[in-house]
Amino acid sequence: MQGKCGLFFTTYEGEAQVFQSGFQKLVIGLFLVLLCVAPLILNTHQTSIMNLIFISVIGAVSLNLLTGVCGQISLGHGAFIGVGAYAAGQCSLHGVPFPLAILTGGLITAMVGMVFGVPSLRLKGIYLAIATLAAQLVLEYVFLHGGALTGGSNGLLLDPPSLLGFSFDSEGRMYFLLLFFAAASLLMVTNIMRSKYGRAFVSIRDFYLSAEIVGVNLFWYKLIAFGVSSFLAGVAGGLWGHYTGYISAEQFNIGLSISYLAMIIIGGLGSVLGSVFGAVFIVLLPEVLNALANTLSAFLPDISQYIVALREGVFGLVLILFLIFEPEGLAHRWRLVKAYWKLYPFAH
Amino acid sequence: MRVGTIITATCVLLLAGLMLFGCGGEDQKPAATTKKEATPIRVGGLIDLSGPTSSVGVPYAEGLKGGAKYINEQGGIDGRMVEFDLQDTAYNVQQGLSLYKKMVNTDHVVCIQGFGSAVTEALVRTLAKDMIPNLSASYSAHLTDPKVAPYNFFIAADYTTQMRAALKYFRDNWKEERAPRLALVYPDHPYGLAPIAGGKEYAAEIGFEIVGEANVALNAIDATTELLPLKEKNPDFCWVGGTTPSTSVILKSAKNIGMDTVFFTNIWGTDETLPKLAGSDADGSYSNQAAAVYGQDVPGMKVIMELTGNEPQMTHYTRGFVSMLVMAEGMKRALANGELTGESLKTSLETLRDFDPMGLAPLISYFPDDHRPNMAVFLYTIRDGKLTFVKEQILERRAEWLGH
Repeated sequence: MQGKCGLFFTTYEGEAQVFQSGFQKLVIGLFLVLLCVAPLILNTHQTSIMNLIFISVIGAVSLNLLTGVCGQISLGHGAFIGVGAYAAGQCSLHGVPFPLAILTGGLITAMVGMVFGVPSLRLKGIYLAIATLAAQLVLEYVFLHGGALTGGSNGLLLDPPSLLGFSFDSEGRMYFLLLFFAAASLLMVTNIMRSKYGRAFVSIRDFYLSAEIVGVNLFWYKLIAFGVSSFLAGVAGGLWGHYTGYISAEQFNIGLSISYLAMIIIGGLGSVLGSVFGAVFIVLLPEVLNALANTLSAFLPDISQYIVALREGVFGLVLILFLIFEPEGLAHRWRLVKAYWKLYPFAH
Repeated sequence: MRVGTIITATCVLLLAGLMLFGCGGEDQKPAATTKKEATPIRVGGLIDLSGPTSSVGVPYAEGLKGGAKYINEQGGIDGRMVEFDLQDTAYNVQQGLSLYKKMVNTDHVVCIQGFGSAVTEALVRTLAKDMIPNLSASYSAHLTDPKVAPYNFFIAADYTTQMRAALKYFRDNWKEERAPRLALVYPDHPYGLAPIAGGKEYAAEIGFEIVGEANVALNAIDATTELLPLKEKNPDFCWVGGTTPSTSVILKSAKNIGMDTVFFTNIWGTDETLPKLAGSDADGSYSNQAAAVYGQDVPGMKVIMELTGNEPQMTHYTRGFVSMLVMAEGMKRALANGELTGESLKTSLETLRDFDPMGLAPLISYFPDDHRPNMAVFLYTIRDGKLTFVKEQILERRAEWLGH
């Protein structure tokens, strides 16, 4: 980890900190304070967008751990999020307290993810992509034909989450709940990446044969990657289900998997911060387009229909442009910006 | 390096734009009204103008806009104009939720004109919490039960009721001694599955013999493989639950394999584009509809033809138009009894009894404990490439059918 000039450590604990300098701690502290007072400043609609961002952050960081850090491509992430939503939803409907329901949803998803992760020992790259796509299709079928378990085509209706009698039944209340889960997920993945497991994941991603030669048990670590990633996906799904109050099979289609892949590509593969950037970008993209359409409709009535119809095209275009000009994602751009100001006014 | 600079600049501009977006855009200018002191009534439109269902979403939205225009031309509602804010949900739940929250919390709409099932169903709980009625075009039966969806309304009979009504029509007109044989073809999709359980139950009850089922996806390009086993069973009637493109594929494949069956389709399975897609293969097929087709001899059609400058519109347009009429009637009643809020609009809609939307759709009634608008379906058949009215089939309002 590159610290600022003059930063040195006298203890191993000091060196192992996530935020090493006082300035970093101050900035992250201020950022957290800003996040905490944000609902007081933002209106309900903007708070709801923040809530969607928090859920997306959890989903994106979980996929980034699997695909970006461990190199196991997954096209079934949307379905894993669905498993979490249904599992946590069923727990809630059966009277399980909310935190336990989310946890159970995560654990069930982790198990399902590990089952579908088994082929990863033998399959790589495009073959694994197709295997996980099969998982997506199989799970979609289960969601639709799960009978009472999934509500079939009618889906499941859920109440807002409540904790010790306190109901999170407004955007502002949900905001803090989701903020907590998003922060906890980011911290969890950050710490996993700094551990033995994280290093094993990276070694598998970079070259599986070398990893195996130095003693990394490929099958075990790949399974763990699928398990942890699916666990967090399940948590994201459980939160999504409780946030919207309704779960249906249509919500967890291949499109959702693709949009999460887009998040981590745009944000930056293998980067926790990139997951955040990607989630923010993808959630805000349609909002920005809508705002643009509404602004223009003052001058050109009915333009909104045409602009918003371009959304899919814009989405694809943005993805292509990122792949061409910024293959390492927004996280890399962020690092360059930081480096520029660190060296200012010098070029090197 | 220059590319990098451009990307950095773009990101900075985007961030600045987002901050501006986050800070502004609160105050909307009220629309021009006939009464200067009367504030407009804001209505939000959450319609799929892009995405997989946009081919029917766009004409439906045009109908809503036509309806709003007609209401305003008639002097508005109690002198207040309807300000209709149409937005595209693109069949995307997240997009729909976000737009809904802006409409309700920032723009303070009193009612939503919804469309697709994905967004409509995702909003069920939220609508009840915010006390905002939603008149949608997602006709799933469970949305008619106020215990499940207290703020959901729609102006057509639900999918299951429509299917039952069509089955009753065919059974009543069955002349042979033996039981009529029925096959079912539908996509393995929430919309496709919605009426199946209730429909099969009723078919068995009135003496149909169900001989087979098949799944044909909404994006299928051929259905021969699925239809061949059904052909062996020699069905007299075949239910097609899908959309216009999948219906055309099924009808063409059926003709190719020489299947001599009367096909009847769900409400989204047949419209004016079907004869164009399937050609003469569509002739003789029946469809469930909930609104008059363009040019039909009913009072409201003159209004629509005037509004559209005699430019033919699809039947989805008519349903959008009717949805606005029903909403306006509810608003009139709410204002007659006091203030117009989402809650008072819901209560007023529940007082509608046999409301006639200018003959454009079957009579509409809502009850506090039953949001089924009616138990009727307009049956049409395609004759010489045109949707031809056959009959308005009405069923009894059975309590056990509510929500199923």
